[in-house]
Amino acid sequence: MSAVHVAGVSKIFNQGTPKQVDALVDVNLTVEPGEFVSLIGPSGCGKSTLLRLIANLLEPTTGAVTVNGKTSAQSRLDQDYGMAFQQAGLFDWRSVAKNIELPLELKGWDKEKRAARAQEMLELVKLPEFADLMPWQLSGGMQQRIAIARALAAHPPLLLMDEPFGALDEMTREYMQGELLRICAETKTTVVFVTHSIPEAVYLSNRVVVMTPRPGRITEVVNVNLGANRSEDTRAADNFFSGITAVREALRGTHADHANAGAVRGVEDR
Amino acid sequence: MNKQLRRAAYRTGMFLVSIALVAVFWELYKVVGPEKGGKLFGVAILPRSNDTAMPHLWEMLSRYAEPEMRGPHSRQIWLVVLQGAWFSFRLALVGFVIGSSIGVALAALMTRFKTMERGLLPYLVVSQTVPLIALAPLVVSWGGKLHIFGFTWPRWLSASVLGAFLAFFPIAVGTLRGLKSAPAASLELMDSYAASWKQTMFKLRFPAAIPYMVPAFKLGASGSVIGVVVAEISTGLKGGIGRLIIEYARQATGDPAKVFTAVFGAAGLGLAMAGLVTLADVLLMRNRPKETTT
Ligand SMILES: Nc1ncnc2c1ncn2[C@@H]1O[C@H](COP(=O)(O)OP(=O)(O)O)[C@@H](O)[C@H]1O
Ligand SMILES: [Mg+2]
Repeated sequence: MSAVHVAGVSKIFNQGTPKQVDALVDVNLTVEPGEFVSLIGPSGCGKSTLLRLIANLLEPTTGAVTVNGKTSAQSRLDQDYGMAFQQAGLFDWRSVAKNIELPLELKGWDKEKRAARAQEMLELVKLPEFADLMPWQLSGGMQQRIAIARALAAHPPLLLMDEPFGALDEMTREYMQGELLRICAETKTTVVFVTHSIPEAVYLSNRVVVMTPRPGRITEVVNVNLGANRSEDTRAADNFFSGITAVREALRGTHADHANAGAVRGVEDR
Repeated sequence: MNKQLRRAAYRTGMFLVSIALVAVFWELYKVVGPEKGGKLFGVAILPRSNDTAMPHLWEMLSRYAEPEMRGPHSRQIWLVVLQGAWFSFRLALVGFVIGSSIGVALAALMTRFKTMERGLLPYLVVSQTVPLIALAPLVVSWGGKLHIFGFTWPRWLSASVLGAFLAFFPIAVGTLRGLKSAPAASLELMDSYAASWKQTMFKLRFPAAIPYMVPAFKLGASGSVIGVVVAEISTGLKGGIGRLIIEYARQATGDPAKVFTAVFGAAGLGLAMAGLVTLADVLLMRNRPKETTT
Protein backbone atom coordinates (compact mmCIF):
# COMPACT_ATOMS: atom_id res chain seq x y z
CA MET A 1 0.00 0.00 0.00
CA SER A 2 1.47 3.36 -1.03
CA ALA A 3 1.69 6.20 1.43
CA VAL A 4 0.44 8.64 -1.19
CA HIS A 5 -1.15 7.88 -4.53
CA VAL A 6 -2.08 10.72 -6.86
CA ALA A 7 -3.78 9.54 -10.04
CA GLY A 8 -4.66 11.73 -13.00
CA VAL A 9 -5.20 14.77 -10.85
CA SER A 10 -5.96 18.23 -12.21
CA LYS A 11 -6.75 21.34 -10.24
CA ILE A 12 -8.33 24.28 -12.00
CA PHE A 13 -9.12 27.36 -9.94
CA ASN A 14 -12.04 29.61 -10.93
CA GLN A 15 -13.01 27.31 -13.75
CA GLY A 16 -14.94 28.96 -16.56
CA THR A 17 -14.21 32.50 -15.38
CA PRO A 18 -11.69 34.96 -16.84
CA LYS A 19 -9.56 34.34 -13.74
CA GLN A 20 -9.21 30.62 -14.53
CA VAL A 21 -5.85 29.13 -13.45
CA ASP A 22 -4.75 25.67 -14.50
CA ALA A 23 -2.75 25.08 -11.35
CA LEU A 24 -2.17 21.36 -12.00
CA VAL A 25 -2.80 19.24 -15.07
CA ASP A 26 -2.75 15.43 -15.19
CA VAL A 27 -0.47 14.81 -12.24
CA ASN A 28 0.50 11.24 -11.29
CA LEU A 29 2.66 10.53 -8.26
CA THR A 30 3.18 7.60 -5.95
CA VAL A 31 5.10 7.84 -2.70
CA GLU A 32 6.06 4.61 -0.91
CA PRO A 33 6.13 4.31 2.89
CA GLY A 34 9.39 5.58 4.36
CA GLU A 35 10.27 7.58 1.27
CA PHE A 36 11.35 11.21 1.32
CA VAL A 37 10.05 12.97 -1.79
CA SER A 38 10.64 16.63 -2.61
CA LEU A 39 8.59 18.79 -4.95
CA ILE A 40 10.65 21.47 -6.65
CA GLY A 41 9.96 24.04 -9.33
CA PRO A 42 9.62 27.76 -9.95
CA SER A 43 7.05 29.66 -7.95
CA GLY A 44 3.51 29.22 -9.25
CA CYS A 45 4.07 25.71 -10.62
CA GLY A 46 1.55 24.22 -8.22
CA LYS A 47 3.75 22.70 -5.50
CA SER A 48 1.64 24.01 -2.66
CA THR A 49 -1.52 23.10 -4.52
CA LEU A 50 -0.35 19.50 -4.91
CA LEU A 51 0.52 19.33 -1.21
CA ARG A 52 -2.89 20.76 -0.27
CA LEU A 53 -4.59 18.19 -2.48
CA ILE A 54 -2.75 15.40 -0.68
CA ALA A 55 -3.77 17.01 2.62
CA ASN A 56 -7.40 17.25 1.45
CA LEU A 57 -7.37 20.98 2.11
CA LEU A 58 -8.39 21.23 -1.56
CA GLU A 59 -10.50 18.91 -3.71
CA PRO A 60 -9.10 17.90 -7.11
CA THR A 61 -11.01 19.04 -10.19
CA THR A 62 -10.42 15.63 -11.75
CA GLY A 63 -8.61 12.51 -10.60
CA ALA A 64 -8.22 10.91 -7.20
CA VAL A 65 -5.88 11.15 -4.23
CA THR A 66 -5.42 8.31 -1.77
CA VAL A 67 -3.36 8.44 1.41
CA ASN A 68 -2.54 5.21 3.24
CA GLY A 69 -5.01 3.43 1.00
CA LYS A 70 -7.89 5.66 2.09
CA THR A 71 -9.46 8.64 0.40
CA SER A 72 -7.62 11.82 1.34
CA ALA A 73 -10.78 13.05 3.09
CA GLN A 74 -10.83 10.00 5.36
CA SER A 75 -7.14 10.22 6.15
CA ARG A 76 -7.52 13.87 7.12
CA LEU A 77 -10.30 12.91 9.52
CA ASP A 78 -8.06 10.18 10.92
CA GLN A 79 -5.14 12.63 11.26
CA ASP A 80 -3.00 10.33 9.12
CA TYR A 81 -0.63 13.15 8.33
CA GLY A 82 0.99 16.10 10.06
CA MET A 83 1.68 19.38 8.34
CA ALA A 84 4.28 22.14 8.64
CA PHE A 85 4.46 25.44 6.79
CA GLN A 86 7.07 28.11 6.12
CA GLN A 87 5.83 30.08 9.10
CA ALA A 88 6.02 27.89 12.18
CA GLY A 89 2.51 29.17 12.98
CA LEU A 90 2.69 28.41 16.70
CA PHE A 91 -0.12 29.89 18.75
CA ASP A 92 1.20 32.86 20.76
CA TRP A 93 -1.14 32.21 23.64
CA ARG A 94 -0.04 28.63 24.23
CA SER A 95 3.16 27.44 25.83
CA VAL A 96 5.51 25.33 23.75
CA ALA A 97 4.17 22.12 25.27
CA LYS A 98 0.56 23.19 24.79
CA ASN A 99 1.27 23.97 21.15
CA ILE A 100 2.58 20.45 20.64
CA GLU A 101 -0.48 19.09 22.41
CA LEU A 102 -2.90 20.90 20.10
CA PRO A 103 -3.59 18.02 17.67
CA LEU A 104 -3.95 15.60 20.59
CA GLU A 105 -6.36 17.94 22.34
CA LEU A 106 -8.49 18.10 19.20
CA LYS A 107 -8.51 14.31 19.14
CA GLY A 108 -9.73 14.23 22.73
CA TRP A 109 -6.69 12.73 24.44
CA ASP A 110 -6.65 13.05 28.21
CA LYS A 111 -4.31 15.42 29.98
CA GLU A 112 -1.62 13.08 31.30
CA LYS A 113 -1.28 11.28 28.00
CA ARG A 114 -0.94 14.61 26.18
CA ALA A 115 1.70 15.93 28.54
CA ALA A 116 3.70 12.72 28.28
CA ARG A 117 3.57 12.80 24.49
CA ALA A 118 4.54 16.49 24.39
CA GLN A 119 7.59 15.71 26.50
CA GLU A 120 8.46 12.78 24.23
CA MET A 121 8.23 15.07 21.18
CA LEU A 122 10.37 17.73 22.88
CA GLU A 123 13.04 15.09 23.46
CA LEU A 124 12.76 14.10 19.81
CA VAL A 125 13.46 17.64 18.60
CA LYS A 126 16.09 18.09 21.32
CA LEU A 127 14.39 20.92 23.18
CA PRO A 128 13.36 18.99 26.31
CA GLU A 129 13.64 21.88 28.78
CA PHE A 130 11.56 24.32 26.70
CA ALA A 131 8.09 22.98 27.56
CA ASP A 132 6.92 25.94 29.61
CA LEU A 133 8.36 28.75 27.49
CA MET A 134 6.15 30.79 25.20
CA PRO A 135 6.77 30.46 21.44
CA TRP A 136 7.88 34.07 21.01
CA GLN A 137 10.73 33.45 23.41
CA LEU A 138 12.26 31.00 20.91
CA SER A 139 14.45 31.58 17.85
CA GLY A 140 13.05 30.92 14.37
CA GLY A 141 14.81 27.57 14.08
CA MET A 142 13.56 26.44 17.48
CA GLN A 143 10.03 27.50 16.59
CA GLN A 144 10.21 25.45 13.43
CA ARG A 145 11.40 22.43 15.43
CA ILE A 146 8.39 22.85 17.72
CA ALA A 147 6.17 23.04 14.64
CA ILE A 148 7.64 19.72 13.48
CA ALA A 149 7.08 18.26 16.94
CA ARG A 150 3.46 19.39 16.75
CA ALA A 151 3.05 17.89 13.27
CA LEU A 152 4.39 14.56 14.51
CA ALA A 153 2.73 14.57 17.94
CA ALA A 154 -0.05 12.17 16.95
CA HIS A 155 2.58 9.88 15.36
CA PRO A 156 1.16 10.22 11.84
CA PRO A 157 2.80 8.01 9.22
CA LEU A 158 3.06 10.94 6.80
CA LEU A 159 4.54 14.42 7.11
CA LEU A 160 3.64 17.14 4.61
CA MET A 161 5.92 20.19 4.58
CA ASP A 162 5.60 23.39 2.55
CA GLU A 163 8.95 25.22 2.43
CA PRO A 164 9.38 24.71 6.18
CA PHE A 165 12.93 26.08 6.25
CA GLY A 166 12.36 28.87 3.72
CA ALA A 167 12.49 31.62 6.35
CA LEU A 168 15.61 30.38 8.15
CA ASP A 169 19.21 31.52 7.66
CA GLU A 170 21.55 29.19 5.79
CA MET A 171 23.36 27.80 8.85
CA THR A 172 20.16 27.03 10.74
CA ARG A 173 18.68 25.65 7.57
CA GLU A 174 21.41 23.03 7.10
CA TYR A 175 21.23 22.07 10.76
CA MET A 176 17.44 21.66 10.46
CA GLN A 177 17.84 19.47 7.38
CA GLY A 178 20.08 17.11 9.34
CA GLU A 179 17.63 17.11 12.24
CA LEU A 180 14.69 16.41 9.96
CA LEU A 181 16.45 13.40 8.46
CA ARG A 182 17.28 12.05 11.90
CA ILE A 183 13.73 12.59 13.18
CA CYS A 184 12.15 10.95 10.15
CA ALA A 185 14.51 8.00 10.36
CA GLU A 186 13.75 7.56 14.08
CA THR A 187 10.01 7.78 13.57
CA LYS A 188 9.94 6.04 10.17
CA THR A 189 7.85 8.89 8.77
CA THR A 190 7.15 9.32 5.07
CA VAL A 191 7.73 12.89 3.91
CA VAL A 192 6.47 15.01 1.02
CA PHE A 193 8.54 18.17 1.09
CA VAL A 194 8.04 21.34 -0.95
CA THR A 195 11.12 23.49 -1.52
CA HIS A 196 12.69 25.73 -4.10
CA SER A 197 16.22 25.04 -2.98
CA ILE A 198 17.99 22.49 -5.17
CA PRO A 199 20.67 21.49 -2.62
CA GLU A 200 18.00 21.09 0.03
CA ALA A 201 15.92 18.81 -2.20
CA VAL A 202 18.93 16.72 -3.19
CA TYR A 203 20.33 16.42 0.33
CA LEU A 204 17.04 15.33 1.85
CA SER A 205 15.30 13.25 -0.78
CA ASN A 206 15.11 9.80 -2.22
CA ARG A 207 13.37 11.32 -5.21
CA VAL A 208 13.03 14.89 -6.44
CA VAL A 209 9.87 15.68 -8.37
CA VAL A 210 10.51 18.51 -10.84
CA MET A 211 7.51 20.65 -11.80
CA THR A 212 6.84 23.43 -14.32
CA PRO A 213 4.26 26.18 -14.39
CA ARG A 214 1.47 27.23 -16.80
CA PRO A 215 -0.03 24.73 -16.67
CA GLY A 216 1.45 23.15 -13.53
CA ARG A 217 2.64 19.62 -14.11
CA ILE A 218 5.36 17.11 -13.27
CA THR A 219 8.04 17.02 -15.95
CA GLU A 220 10.63 14.76 -14.43
CA VAL A 221 11.41 12.69 -11.36
CA VAL A 222 15.11 12.58 -10.41
CA ASN A 223 16.36 9.71 -8.24
CA VAL A 224 19.07 10.95 -5.89
CA ASN A 225 19.39 8.70 -2.88
CA LEU A 226 22.56 9.72 -1.09
CA GLY A 227 22.17 6.78 1.26
CA ALA A 228 20.97 6.40 4.82
CA ASN A 229 24.04 7.78 6.54
CA ARG A 230 24.09 11.33 5.26
CA SER A 231 26.21 13.75 7.26
CA GLU A 232 27.70 17.20 6.81
CA ASP A 233 30.43 15.52 4.72
CA THR A 234 27.79 14.44 2.24
CA ARG A 235 27.47 18.08 1.21
CA ALA A 236 30.99 17.89 -0.19
CA ALA A 237 30.56 14.48 -1.84
CA ASP A 238 30.58 13.90 -5.58
CA ASN A 239 27.17 12.25 -5.76
CA PHE A 240 25.68 15.25 -3.94
CA PHE A 241 26.95 17.52 -6.71
CA SER A 242 25.91 15.18 -9.49
CA GLY A 243 22.43 15.09 -7.89
CA ILE A 244 22.33 18.87 -7.89
CA THR A 245 23.40 18.96 -11.54
CA ALA A 246 20.74 16.44 -12.49
CA VAL A 247 17.97 18.41 -10.78
CA ARG A 248 19.25 21.69 -12.19
CA GLU A 249 19.26 20.31 -15.70
CA ALA A 250 15.80 18.91 -15.24
CA LEU A 251 14.63 22.33 -14.11
CA ARG A 252 16.43 24.13 -16.92
CA GLY A 253 15.15 21.63 -19.45
CA THR A 254 11.64 22.39 -18.41
CA HIS A 255 12.34 26.10 -18.65
CA ALA A 256 13.57 25.72 -22.22
CA ASP A 257 10.91 23.16 -22.98
CA HIS A 258 9.11 25.20 -25.59
CA ALA A 259 12.11 26.96 -27.08
CA ASN A 260 14.50 24.02 -27.42
CA ALA A 261 13.77 20.63 -28.86
CA GLY A 262 12.50 18.62 -25.91
CA ALA A 263 13.72 15.40 -27.49
CA VAL A 264 17.37 16.49 -27.43
CA ARG A 265 17.03 17.34 -23.75
CA GLY A 266 15.59 13.93 -23.06
CA VAL A 267 18.49 12.15 -24.79
CA GLU A 268 21.04 14.13 -22.81
CA ASP A 269 19.48 13.21 -19.50
CA ARG A 270 19.31 9.48 -20.16
CA MET B 1 7.60 42.35 33.51
CA ASN B 2 9.66 45.29 34.69
CA LYS B 3 9.09 46.92 31.33
CA GLN B 4 5.34 46.46 31.68
CA LEU B 5 5.41 48.03 35.13
CA ARG B 6 7.35 50.99 33.81
CA ARG B 7 4.87 51.41 31.00
CA ALA B 8 1.95 51.27 33.43
CA ALA B 9 3.63 53.90 35.60
CA TYR B 10 4.25 56.07 32.55
CA ARG B 11 0.61 55.80 31.48
CA THR B 12 -0.66 56.66 34.94
CA GLY B 13 1.72 59.60 35.01
CA MET B 14 0.50 60.87 31.65
CA PHE B 15 -3.09 60.51 32.83
CA LEU B 16 -2.42 62.59 35.92
CA VAL B 17 -0.55 65.20 33.88
CA SER B 18 -3.46 65.51 31.45
CA ILE B 19 -5.90 66.00 34.32
CA ALA B 20 -3.61 68.64 35.83
CA LEU B 21 -3.43 70.41 32.45
CA VAL B 22 -7.21 70.57 32.20
CA ALA B 23 -7.35 71.93 35.77
CA VAL B 24 -4.75 74.59 34.99
CA PHE B 25 -6.57 75.54 31.79
CA TRP B 26 -9.83 75.86 33.71
CA GLU B 27 -8.39 78.20 36.32
CA LEU B 28 -6.44 80.15 33.69
CA TYR B 29 -9.60 80.74 31.68
CA LYS B 30 -11.29 82.02 34.80
CA VAL B 31 -8.54 84.64 35.03
CA VAL B 32 -8.39 85.75 31.39
CA GLY B 33 -11.81 84.72 30.06
CA PRO B 34 -14.66 87.27 29.69
CA GLU B 35 -16.87 87.46 32.77
CA LYS B 36 -20.10 87.62 30.74
CA GLY B 37 -19.04 85.27 27.97
CA GLY B 38 -17.70 86.20 24.55
CA LYS B 39 -19.63 86.78 21.35
CA LEU B 40 -18.30 86.46 17.84
CA PHE B 41 -20.58 87.88 15.08
CA GLY B 42 -23.43 87.87 17.59
CA VAL B 43 -23.00 84.18 18.40
CA ALA B 44 -22.01 83.22 21.90
CA ILE B 45 -18.94 81.03 21.62
CA LEU B 46 -16.85 81.79 24.68
CA PRO B 47 -18.33 80.48 27.92
CA ARG B 48 -18.82 82.81 30.83
CA SER B 49 -15.99 82.70 33.30
CA ASN B 50 -17.93 83.89 36.33
CA ASP B 51 -18.20 81.75 39.45
CA THR B 52 -21.74 80.63 38.65
CA ALA B 53 -20.84 79.09 35.30
CA MET B 54 -17.33 78.02 36.19
CA PRO B 55 -16.78 77.60 39.90
CA HIS B 56 -13.24 77.27 41.18
CA LEU B 57 -11.86 73.76 41.37
CA TRP B 58 -11.25 73.97 45.09
CA GLU B 59 -14.90 74.91 45.57
CA MET B 60 -15.96 71.77 43.73
CA LEU B 61 -13.61 69.63 45.77
CA SER B 62 -14.51 71.14 49.11
CA ARG B 63 -18.18 70.74 48.20
CA TYR B 64 -17.74 66.97 48.57
CA ALA B 65 -17.18 67.35 52.29
CA GLU B 66 -20.26 69.50 52.85
CA PRO B 67 -23.81 68.24 53.43
CA GLU B 68 -26.00 67.68 50.39
CA MET B 69 -28.76 70.02 51.54
CA ARG B 70 -29.27 72.57 54.24
CA GLY B 71 -30.98 70.94 57.15
CA PRO B 72 -30.07 68.83 60.13
CA HIS B 73 -30.25 65.30 58.66
CA SER B 74 -28.51 65.77 55.35
CA ARG B 75 -25.66 63.41 54.47
CA GLN B 76 -22.34 64.66 53.15
CA ILE B 77 -22.32 64.99 49.40
CA TRP B 78 -19.43 62.60 48.73
CA LEU B 79 -21.50 59.83 50.23
CA VAL B 80 -24.55 60.73 48.15
CA VAL B 81 -22.49 60.87 44.95
CA LEU B 82 -20.74 57.60 45.78
CA GLN B 83 -24.05 55.85 46.39
CA GLY B 84 -25.48 57.26 43.17
CA ALA B 85 -22.40 56.15 41.27
CA TRP B 86 -22.60 52.67 42.78
CA PHE B 87 -26.26 52.41 41.77
CA SER B 88 -25.48 53.49 38.19
CA PHE B 89 -22.39 51.27 38.12
CA ARG B 90 -24.50 48.19 38.75
CA LEU B 91 -26.94 49.18 36.01
CA ALA B 92 -24.06 49.84 33.64
CA LEU B 93 -22.51 46.50 34.53
CA VAL B 94 -25.76 44.70 33.70
CA GLY B 95 -25.95 46.67 30.44
CA PHE B 96 -22.31 45.90 29.68
CA VAL B 97 -22.84 42.18 30.25
CA ILE B 98 -25.96 42.13 28.06
CA GLY B 99 -24.30 44.28 25.40
CA SER B 100 -21.11 42.26 25.25
CA SER B 101 -23.01 38.95 25.10
CA ILE B 102 -25.06 40.25 22.19
CA GLY B 103 -22.02 41.84 20.53
CA VAL B 104 -19.89 38.70 20.77
CA ALA B 105 -22.77 36.47 19.63
CA LEU B 106 -23.38 38.72 16.61
CA ALA B 107 -19.68 38.71 15.75
CA ALA B 108 -19.53 34.91 15.97
CA LEU B 109 -22.62 34.64 13.80
CA MET B 110 -21.18 37.02 11.22
CA THR B 111 -17.95 35.03 11.18
CA ARG B 112 -19.86 31.82 10.63
CA PHE B 113 -22.12 33.10 7.86
CA LYS B 114 -20.75 35.55 5.30
CA THR B 115 -24.28 36.52 4.26
CA MET B 116 -25.02 37.49 7.85
CA GLU B 117 -22.20 39.98 7.80
CA ARG B 118 -23.39 41.59 4.58
CA GLY B 119 -27.03 41.59 5.67
CA LEU B 120 -26.61 42.56 9.30
CA LEU B 121 -23.73 44.99 9.54
CA PRO B 122 -25.49 47.91 7.76
CA TYR B 123 -28.41 47.63 10.19
CA LEU B 124 -26.04 47.62 13.14
CA VAL B 125 -24.42 50.79 11.84
CA VAL B 126 -27.81 52.46 11.32
CA SER B 127 -28.95 51.41 14.80
CA GLN B 128 -26.20 53.56 16.30
CA THR B 129 -27.50 56.69 14.59
CA VAL B 130 -30.80 56.52 16.51
CA PRO B 131 -30.59 59.24 19.18
CA LEU B 132 -30.51 57.75 22.65
CA ILE B 133 -32.69 60.51 24.07
CA ALA B 134 -35.47 59.50 21.69
CA LEU B 135 -35.04 55.83 22.37
CA ALA B 136 -35.04 56.00 26.17
CA PRO B 137 -38.74 56.76 26.76
CA LEU B 138 -39.69 54.17 24.14
CA VAL B 139 -37.75 51.43 25.89
CA VAL B 140 -39.32 52.38 29.20
CA SER B 141 -42.83 52.20 27.79
CA TRP B 142 -42.16 48.93 25.95
CA GLY B 143 -40.65 47.46 29.09
CA GLY B 144 -43.64 48.59 31.14
CA LYS B 145 -45.92 46.58 28.88
CA LEU B 146 -43.88 43.41 29.25
CA HIS B 147 -45.34 40.76 31.51
CA ILE B 148 -44.09 37.33 30.60
CA PHE B 149 -44.34 34.35 32.94
CA GLY B 150 -44.86 36.59 35.93
CA PHE B 151 -41.78 38.62 35.10
CA THR B 152 -42.40 42.31 35.43
CA TRP B 153 -39.90 44.60 33.84
CA PRO B 154 -38.21 46.73 36.53
CA ARG B 155 -37.72 50.36 35.56
CA TRP B 156 -33.96 50.21 36.07
CA LEU B 157 -33.70 47.48 33.46
CA SER B 158 -34.63 50.01 30.77
CA ALA B 159 -31.55 52.02 31.67
CA SER B 160 -29.40 48.87 31.46
CA VAL B 161 -30.90 48.03 28.09
CA LEU B 162 -29.92 51.45 26.78
CA GLY B 163 -26.43 50.91 28.17
CA ALA B 164 -26.35 47.59 26.33
CA PHE B 165 -27.54 49.36 23.19
CA LEU B 166 -24.48 51.61 23.20
CA ALA B 167 -22.12 48.85 24.34
CA PHE B 168 -22.92 46.11 21.85
CA PHE B 169 -21.91 47.92 18.68
CA PRO B 170 -18.19 48.57 19.23
CA ILE B 171 -17.94 45.12 20.80
CA ALA B 172 -19.57 43.42 17.81
CA VAL B 173 -17.40 45.27 15.31
CA GLY B 174 -14.13 44.82 17.24
CA THR B 175 -14.79 41.16 17.97
CA LEU B 176 -15.68 40.52 14.32
CA ARG B 177 -12.39 42.05 13.20
CA GLY B 178 -10.57 40.00 15.82
CA LEU B 179 -12.22 36.72 14.87
CA LYS B 180 -11.27 37.36 11.27
CA SER B 181 -7.68 38.19 12.21
CA ALA B 182 -6.69 34.53 12.65
CA PRO B 183 -4.01 33.89 10.00
CA ALA B 184 -4.99 31.78 7.00
CA ALA B 185 -2.15 29.36 7.73
CA SER B 186 -3.47 28.75 11.25
CA LEU B 187 -6.97 28.17 9.93
CA GLU B 188 -5.53 25.74 7.42
CA LEU B 189 -3.66 23.99 10.22
CA MET B 190 -6.91 23.52 12.16
CA ASP B 191 -8.50 22.20 8.96
CA SER B 192 -5.67 19.74 8.51
CA TYR B 193 -6.50 18.39 11.98
CA ALA B 194 -10.14 18.13 10.88
CA ALA B 195 -11.05 20.45 13.76
CA SER B 196 -14.74 21.29 14.12
CA TRP B 197 -16.04 24.84 13.75
CA LYS B 198 -16.44 25.08 17.50
CA GLN B 199 -12.90 23.86 18.14
CA THR B 200 -11.51 26.34 15.63
CA MET B 201 -13.56 29.08 17.27
CA PHE B 202 -12.42 28.44 20.82
CA LYS B 203 -8.87 27.25 20.26
CA LEU B 204 -7.91 29.67 17.50
CA ARG B 205 -10.29 32.48 16.55
CA PHE B 206 -11.20 33.77 20.01
CA PRO B 207 -7.67 33.67 21.44
CA ALA B 208 -6.45 35.44 18.30
CA ALA B 209 -9.23 38.02 18.69
CA ILE B 210 -8.37 39.13 22.22
CA PRO B 211 -6.00 41.97 21.22
CA TYR B 212 -8.86 43.37 19.10
CA MET B 213 -11.54 42.69 21.66
CA VAL B 214 -9.91 44.56 24.54
CA PRO B 215 -10.09 48.07 23.04
CA ALA B 216 -13.58 47.27 21.73
CA PHE B 217 -14.69 46.22 25.21
CA LYS B 218 -13.23 49.43 26.64
CA LEU B 219 -15.36 51.44 24.23
CA GLY B 220 -18.32 49.24 25.10
CA ALA B 221 -17.74 49.76 28.82
CA SER B 222 -17.81 53.54 28.55
CA GLY B 223 -20.76 53.23 26.16
CA SER B 224 -22.73 51.31 28.77
CA VAL B 225 -22.05 54.06 31.34
CA ILE B 226 -23.14 56.81 28.94
CA GLY B 227 -26.24 54.84 28.01
CA VAL B 228 -27.24 54.34 31.63
CA VAL B 229 -26.57 57.93 32.69
CA VAL B 230 -28.45 59.38 29.69
CA ALA B 231 -31.31 56.97 30.30
CA GLU B 232 -31.48 58.01 33.95
CA ILE B 233 -31.56 61.64 32.92
CA SER B 234 -34.15 61.31 30.19
CA THR B 235 -36.47 58.92 32.03
CA GLY B 236 -35.96 60.46 35.45
CA LEU B 237 -34.96 57.16 37.06
CA LYS B 238 -34.17 57.74 40.73
CA GLY B 239 -31.14 56.55 42.66
CA GLY B 240 -28.36 56.95 40.11
CA ILE B 241 -25.76 59.51 39.19
CA GLY B 242 -27.80 60.71 36.18
CA ARG B 243 -30.63 61.76 38.45
CA LEU B 244 -28.17 63.59 40.71
CA ILE B 245 -26.81 65.48 37.70
CA ILE B 246 -30.22 66.87 36.72
CA GLU B 247 -31.21 67.59 40.29
CA TYR B 248 -27.99 69.45 41.03
CA ALA B 249 -28.05 71.24 37.69
CA ARG B 250 -31.37 72.81 38.68
CA GLN B 251 -29.68 74.21 41.78
CA ALA B 252 -26.73 75.55 39.80
CA THR B 253 -27.52 79.23 40.28
CA GLY B 254 -27.45 79.00 44.06
CA ASP B 255 -24.89 76.22 44.40
CA PRO B 256 -22.77 76.08 41.22
CA ALA B 257 -20.14 73.66 42.52
CA LYS B 258 -22.70 71.01 43.38
CA VAL B 259 -23.43 69.74 39.88
CA PHE B 260 -19.73 69.21 39.21
CA THR B 261 -19.46 66.78 42.10
CA ALA B 262 -21.98 64.56 40.30
CA VAL B 263 -20.35 65.08 36.88
CA PHE B 264 -17.02 63.92 38.26
CA GLY B 265 -18.82 60.99 39.81
CA ALA B 266 -20.06 59.98 36.34
CA ALA B 267 -16.56 60.35 34.92
CA GLY B 268 -15.16 58.18 37.70
CA LEU B 269 -17.82 55.61 36.88
CA GLY B 270 -16.62 55.40 33.28
CA LEU B 271 -13.05 55.06 34.46
CA ALA B 272 -14.00 52.27 36.86
CA MET B 273 -15.68 50.33 34.04
CA ALA B 274 -12.72 50.81 31.71
CA GLY B 275 -10.46 49.78 34.59
CA LEU B 276 -12.32 46.47 34.86
CA VAL B 277 -11.60 45.77 31.20
CA THR B 278 -7.96 46.75 31.62
CA LEU B 279 -7.69 44.29 34.47
CA ALA B 280 -9.07 41.53 32.25
CA ASP B 281 -6.66 42.63 29.52
CA VAL B 282 -3.63 42.32 31.79
CA LEU B 283 -4.74 38.87 32.94
CA LEU B 284 -5.51 37.54 29.47
CA MET B 285 -2.47 38.98 27.73
CA ARG B 286 0.16 38.27 30.38
CA ASN B 287 1.81 35.55 28.32
CA ARG B 288 1.61 37.20 24.92
CA PRO B 289 4.50 38.79 23.03
CA LYS B 290 5.00 42.37 24.14
CA GLU B 291 4.36 44.01 20.75
CA THR B 292 0.71 42.97 20.65
CA THR B 293 -0.01 44.07 24.22
CA THR B 294 -1.88 47.33 23.88
N1 LIG C 1 -7.03 29.48 -3.96
C1 LIG C 1 -6.58 29.82 -5.18
N2 LIG C 1 -7.37 30.48 -6.05
C2 LIG C 1 -6.93 30.81 -7.27
N3 LIG C 1 -5.72 30.54 -7.74
C3 LIG C 1 -4.86 29.90 -6.93
C4 LIG C 1 -5.25 29.50 -5.61
N4 LIG C 1 -4.20 28.87 -5.03
C5 LIG C 1 -3.21 28.87 -5.95
N5 LIG C 1 -3.59 29.47 -7.11
C6 LIG C 1 -2.79 29.62 -8.31
O1 LIG C 1 -2.34 28.34 -8.69
C7 LIG C 1 -1.01 28.41 -9.16
C8 LIG C 1 -0.15 27.48 -8.35
O2 LIG C 1 -0.03 28.00 -7.03
P1 LIG C 1 0.84 27.30 -5.91
O3 LIG C 1 0.43 25.89 -5.79
O4 LIG C 1 0.74 28.13 -4.68
O5 LIG C 1 2.31 27.41 -6.50
P2 LIG C 1 3.72 27.19 -5.78
O6 LIG C 1 3.47 26.69 -4.41
O7 LIG C 1 4.44 26.20 -6.64
O8 LIG C 1 4.42 28.50 -5.80
C9 LIG C 1 -0.58 29.87 -9.07
O9 LIG C 1 -0.75 30.45 -10.34
C10 LIG C 1 -1.55 30.45 -8.08
O10 LIG C 1 -1.78 31.80 -8.39
MG1 LIG D 1 3.95 27.57 -2.49
